[in-house]
Amino acid sequence: MREAFIIGVGMHKFGKFLDKGLRELTKVAVWEAIHDAAIDPKLIEAAYFGNAQAGLTIGQEAIRGQVMLRHAGFEGIPIVNVEGACASSAIALREAMITVGAGLYDVVLAVGAEKMYLNDTAKSIAAMSTNADVELMGGMGFQFTASYAMTLRKYMQAYGWTQELFAKVASKSKYNGSLNPYAQYQKAMSIGEILSSRVVSWPLTLYMCSTMADGAAAAIVCSKKIARRYTTQLISIAASSLRSGEVTGEDDGQKRAAQEAYTMAGLGPEDIEVAEVHDAMAPGELFRIEKLGFCKAEDISHRVDEGYFSLTGRLPVNTSGGLTSRGHPIGATGLGQIAELVWQMRGNAGARQVRGRSSHHPRIALAQNSGGYVEGSPAALTVTILKT
Amino acid sequence: MKLPLKEGLFHQPESGQDKPYLIGSRCSVCGYTSFPKKEVCLKCLRDDTMEEARFGPYATLDSFAVMQVAPPGFFPPYIQGYVKLNDGPKVFTLITGCEPKEDALQLGEAMELVIDKIREDENGHEIIGWKFKPVTGRGRP
Repeated sequence: MREAFIIGVGMHKFGKFLDKGLRELTKVAVWEAIHDAAIDPKLIEAAYFGNAQAGLTIGQEAIRGQVMLRHAGFEGIPIVNVEGACASSAIALREAMITVGAGLYDVVLAVGAEKMYLNDTAKSIAAMSTNADVELMGGMGFQFTASYAMTLRKYMQAYGWTQELFAKVASKSKYNGSLNPYAQYQKAMSIGEILSSRVVSWPLTLYMCSTMADGAAAAIVCSKKIARRYTTQLISIAASSLRSGEVTGEDDGQKRAAQEAYTMAGLGPEDIEVAEVHDAMAPGELFRIEKLGFCKAEDISHRVDEGYFSLTGRLPVNTSGGLTSRGHPIGATGLGQIAELVWQMRGNAGARQVRGRSSHHPRIALAQNSGGYVEGSPAALTVTILKT
Repeated sequence: MKLPLKEGLFHQPESGQDKPYLIGSRCSVCGYTSFPKKEVCLKCLRDDTMEEARFGPYATLDSFAVMQVAPPGFFPPYIQGYVKLNDGPKVFTLITGCEPKEDALQLGEAMELVIDKIREDENGHEIIGWKFKPVTGRGRP
């Protein structure tokens, strides 16, 4: 397979935008990516459009990408709709990589977009409830908050993780978010403020949890020949793994998704210099860190205390603020992570810029994004590794 | 009016002697169990080995969460959890028979199946499903 490269990324700020529809959000992210790449948009040969909820939020169940991208100026090119709940746009990126890798096209657009604020919270919540098996889990009132709370409780029991540790990691991510102009919540918060906010489901408090968000993110993926024409800072997609959740083994699929990505990239967890991980509830970052092999569960409290995962630490995690601060517009989250990593690798991350280990900026970055829930394990698990 | 969450998921006792159970599947080759019923064994990947099986009433508590927020039809605070059936798989469940408080339950404690109302639907009908309650005097400190 040919190597695929990212030459441009763009985002529509994540947040609440009652005056904008899905197509307007999409257009902003797509054109920011086009301008970022400084590429002639007529060179784009295909597009993958990631979205999870448009069928239920705005009623556009079919041909979402064709409708939204027509507004962004695209006709004629093949447009493929990709849905994998919260992982929709990481999967879209992977499909773009595969298409370029196969040699079918040289320039492919990957997009993720989501419109969640509708002035009708019940409708938005009903849409989000379909990210689990609706027949059983929906009928039983399953909540994603409960899933995080239950997992964290087991780690607390097994490894002595505490609610204060969770507030520390949430505070770290809130601080990162306060430096991110694209974030939904740009407010730093103390450990005390986070701990004293309302309990949603112990050990989770309100400020540890993500809310709804609107937003969009996009990336231009291309072959090496094209990438060389537009940039000297080549960023390749060194790996992109996609697994579905498992229930018959020890692992729910997360460790295997990570292992496949490491194998594909020829790298290990120790090589990763910056990471964006899926933390719909901020403390979830900790068990992602463990499953990705960055740190053993029993060492995590100590690592958090020494700032290992902070902006100035050895392995900064969720420099964007993570899902809880940057916001979690479901189908846009995966590419939102990728945009952040690309900015970090280029040195464009402003006040939240982190340093690399061997050079000025990080050279190897990882994004972990998972989506949905089927009978006890995530529906879709992705790990993407970028490399300069 | 009372309606089951879905037909064929559980048995609701009709008398005191009658015990509730969940209806799932067990693979006749590898013993893999599933709830709800599955037609294909996930381990063997065969479609001719799964047989109907009854699970319950006993299980151990895998984890739980006391929810202070609730989707429509549910009323907080209430408890969601996972239990590992003694003779079957891990199952998502609502928990009853104790206060919806953090200290009311301990991971690993013995639980027992009850068939009960889980919520009301938009027409005011009672939706019947499965719940688990702590087994008094078993596995409790």
